[in-house]
Amino acid sequence: MIPRFAHVRPRSLAEAFDALATAGGEAAWIAGGTELLQVMRMGFGQFDTLIDLKGIPDVHGIALDHADGLVIGAASTHRDIERSPLVAEHAPGLARLASRIANVRVRNAGTIGGNLAFAEPHSDPATFLLACGATVQLVGPGGERALGIGEFVLGPLSTAREPGEILRSVLIPAAVPGEGRAYEKIAFFERPAASVGVAVRVADGAVAGATVTVGSLTETPVVVADAGTALVGAEARPEALDGPLAKGRDALGRLDVVADLNGSPDYKRHLAGVLLGRAAQAALVEAIAHA
Amino acid sequence: MPETVEIALAVNGRDRRLRIEPRETLAEVLRTRLGLTGTKISCDAQVCGACTVLVDGLAVSGCTFLAIDADGRTVRTVEGLAEDGRLSPLQQAFIDKAAFQCGFCTSGMLMAATALLEEDPAPTREAVVHGLEGNLCRCTGYASIIDAVLTVGTGRQVDEGERT
Repeated sequence: MIPRFAHVRPRSLAEAFDALATAGGEAAWIAGGTELLQVMRMGFGQFDTLIDLKGIPDVHGIALDHADGLVIGAASTHRDIERSPLVAEHAPGLARLASRIANVRVRNAGTIGGNLAFAEPHSDPATFLLACGATVQLVGPGGERALGIGEFVLGPLSTAREPGEILRSVLIPAAVPGEGRAYEKIAFFERPAASVGVAVRVADGAVAGATVTVGSLTETPVVVADAGTALVGAEARPEALDGPLAKGRDALGRLDVVADLNGSPDYKRHLAGVLLGRAAQAALVEAIAHA
Repeated sequence: MPETVEIALAVNGRDRRLRIEPRETLAEVLRTRLGLTGTKISCDAQVCGACTVLVDGLAVSGCTFLAIDADGRTVRTVEGLAEDGRLSPLQQAFIDKAAFQCGFCTSGMLMAATALLEEDPAPTREAVVHGLEGNLCRCTGYASIIDAVLTVGTGRQVDEGERT
């Protein structure tokens, strides 16, 4: 059985911070619980109090902020994101990603905030959102702050979130004209073996900017700067990417890859190379469509 | 005395009121407090799907869904599929297609497929595979299970190897 804990259901952020301050022993925020309860059941984390964030309106909702982009409440389930018309329109790569996370049961209960805050190295959203230049909004008793994904995810299962802070939302910048963003992965088990995020911007028939991220291969999702650079200048035709992709794959070869059940470092670099091609093609197609 | 909390939920159409510990999972409550042992606990880690139950129509892992989170909600288990002793069309299709052998994955498969068909009454083979790929079976090789779901979805007998 899951070890015993006290359970609190605050209805506001203020109540949540209060609950944390008055909780006896170690306390943790919980939303979907798909990672946290597993950790507790396996004995890797002990928490005397779980504070359920699902009843707090501030962490729910998906909305378009016309100035900044798409704001996704941290308690949005992967299913919510998969089904959201706003996400389909403004970040279709994220909707597709959300539809393929883990399995349908995890998608129905697990949240994007929980996924990002848990910071598992294989996280699908973290890898893609890093390529999109997304930020997370953290709120604590003392105020709010925003961090880029790269500043937020510090290491395996480690983030910059202070214990008293709640991850309130994720902000995905609106795609600029000519921008496309895609994510591709291969998974043998529940978590990806390798994953790649690509954001490209086209102008005047050529790739004017590109960001490539790789997930599941290293301790955190990483931007592979040389792979992005390799795509810049390419003619904006999916058939014209072979040369730039070859250079991009060379850059993947220089990653320091951890070996795990998904395969050897070389095998996983190979997978990432294949995914780079798929994600770059998909991002470019989207970019051209939005030019 | 451990802290307990009262929850009120509908289980297979029947209102239930229970006093539980917060740590009890929905699968544990269904099996040990309500005697509904059709829901199976296998991997206990959310990956096999044997514990699949529906909460407000959504498939969840009963092994890792806190019963307290089902408070005020509608829960359906495999025991709730048959009406007045009549098997659901999906259950009958599982029999017709020999879509189970040991039967241990079957309740989870039925619940996942029920959720899928309620949302998408005529799914493609691809959609069925996507909807069920989180439910593992060691016996059947899956083809008969997919055929059973497609048989319900298409309204005609679908046989192994057929592609829609």
